[in-house]
Amino acid sequence: MSDPAIRTVDLVKRYPGADITALAGVSVQVERGQYLCIMGPSGSGKSTLLNLVGALDTPTSGEVFLNGRSLAKESNLDAVRAREVGFIFQLHNLLPTLTSIENVEIPMMAVGATRRERRARAIELLESVGLSHRLNSIATRLSGGERQRVSIARALANRPALILGDEPTGDVDSKTGEQIMACIHEARRRSGATLVIVTHNPDLTKGADRTLHMKDGLLQ
Amino acid sequence: MLILKNLLRRRTRTLLSLLGIAIGIAAIIAFNAVARGFKASLDRYMHGSGAQMLVVNRAAMAPEYSRISKEEVEFVRNLPGVEHVSPATFTIIAGRVLQKVKAGTKLKFLTVFGRVPGDRLVEKHRPGIDGRLFEAEDEVILGSDAARDLDVKLGDTLPMLNRTFRVVGIYRSDVKFESAGCVIPSSVVQKQLAMGDSVGLCFLYLKQGADWKKIRDTIEEKAVNLAAIQTQDFTQYYNQLDYIDWFVWIVSLISVIVGGLGVLNTMLMAVSERTREIGTLRAVGWSRGQVLRMILAEGLLISMVGGALGLFLGAFGAETLIQWAPRGLDTRYSALLFVQGFSIALALGFFGALYPALQASRLSPIEALKYE
Repeated sequence: MSDPAIRTVDLVKRYPGADITALAGVSVQVERGQYLCIMGPSGSGKSTLLNLVGALDTPTSGEVFLNGRSLAKESNLDAVRAREVGFIFQLHNLLPTLTSIENVEIPMMAVGATRRERRARAIELLESVGLSHRLNSIATRLSGGERQRVSIARALANRPALILGDEPTGDVDSKTGEQIMACIHEARRRSGATLVIVTHNPDLTKGADRTLHMKDGLLQ
Repeated sequence: MLILKNLLRRRTRTLLSLLGIAIGIAAIIAFNAVARGFKASLDRYMHGSGAQMLVVNRAAMAPEYSRISKEEVEFVRNLPGVEHVSPATFTIIAGRVLQKVKAGTKLKFLTVFGRVPGDRLVEKHRPGIDGRLFEAEDEVILGSDAARDLDVKLGDTLPMLNRTFRVVGIYRSDVKFESAGCVIPSSVVQKQLAMGDSVGLCFLYLKQGADWKKIRDTIEEKAVNLAAIQTQDFTQYYNQLDYIDWFVWIVSLISVIVGGLGVLNTMLMAVSERTREIGTLRAVGWSRGQVLRMILAEGLLISMVGGALGLFLGAFGAETLIQWAPRGLDTRYSALLFVQGFSIALALGFFGALYPALQASRLSPIEALKYE
């Protein structure tokens, strides 16, 4: 039997300067290809958990395993983020001076793809999220929904096995939110990637294989 | 793509930073070109004299202070291996004196070469001269630049050094300070400067196969007041010219520091403004090295464009400078000077961007993403 996509063991994250315990011992397992939705109020620790799983941050104690490999033993977390994880942020975090294509190319630069490969892949991904008419638009000229779709395309750039979304619909209206989630599900269906989304919007639990709730740094 | 767009985002700031580098490099090029031009003029003058050696007073820091007695001149003249000796004097007439001579002249000073009528140092002007060489004490031959700026023609009179000279010849010279000067009988300079029968320096023409080192050693051993050098070593012997070099490099250094601080400031502000973007780059997998290289490349791009502009501005500035500055200055460029200027620009870009680049590369992705 294959290793789970994600396994965390007793994850603790403390911020000593601010005397805050964001995670108080979280153990969770997500099988490959599953969609896990984690709900909870602001400050419950769900974004911190996502950041630890995505190798953006390191735990105070405990361990994260991606596909059976411990992140603590990884010498190059940049490469893990580049190749294995695709992030979708609430505020999309596009580079404002770049076009849609160029924004999608950014993660591919991290893995040394050629210019031609990057461009072809970026166009393919942007077309798949319905932005074939916005390929060369500067990020600041896109609507909120369009920006988030570019960020979905960017998350898929290096064909990651894991897609992590932090309130991906948190900055758009509900109708646009539905379109964005449809787009994410379609991308997941095509890629077969594991999807973890943290949110406090119950609408996002639709279609989830599992929904977990967090409060005060613990899974309920 | 990203580097260029980042720089174009704050066009005014990038332009100002680029101009800071350009002006710094332009100062290096312009000052060095003029300083090297001056030295090159001296070298050309010495070479043009046809003499192999120069004898000066050992105690004089600059040739204008040198005095060689008549007996010393005779001693040198009679040395074996010496074919001919051209005694020489010179003085420089200040601009304010020239203003009285010719109102409204552009000349800020006039170099007066005192030469013996009929001597080789006078005869060298014969080819191509308008008019003739001087024969009497009240006759002068003028360089073409000096004649133009003093607005005098052949046959005109020129009052200076407490007498009235008649302009009997106008010569051309590719040595700027010679073209902006004049040649008169040495005896007039000797009287005016109360030199008696001593001269300032002696140009030595050696016989075929004569050993200049042997002649030098004899002169320095027997006439202890004198020093003998090869004419080609003139600019090295008079190390006062080194002060010009030092001045040039100090002015250049100040300009360069200002340019470097401009890049540092630009890149620090750029990193601070783009903290969140740098966080995004790190979040999607960019390594610290990639972020470091991106910021360094931005600094280097500014410095490359600024440096190239500086090379052009420097050459243009130097040429403009010698038009406005006192006559007699010249410029000299070399590939090495341009390479030095451009290398300094690159170094400024690199070191100016290094600290901001290190700061950017050390940002934690999670902290950078939270940055407001």
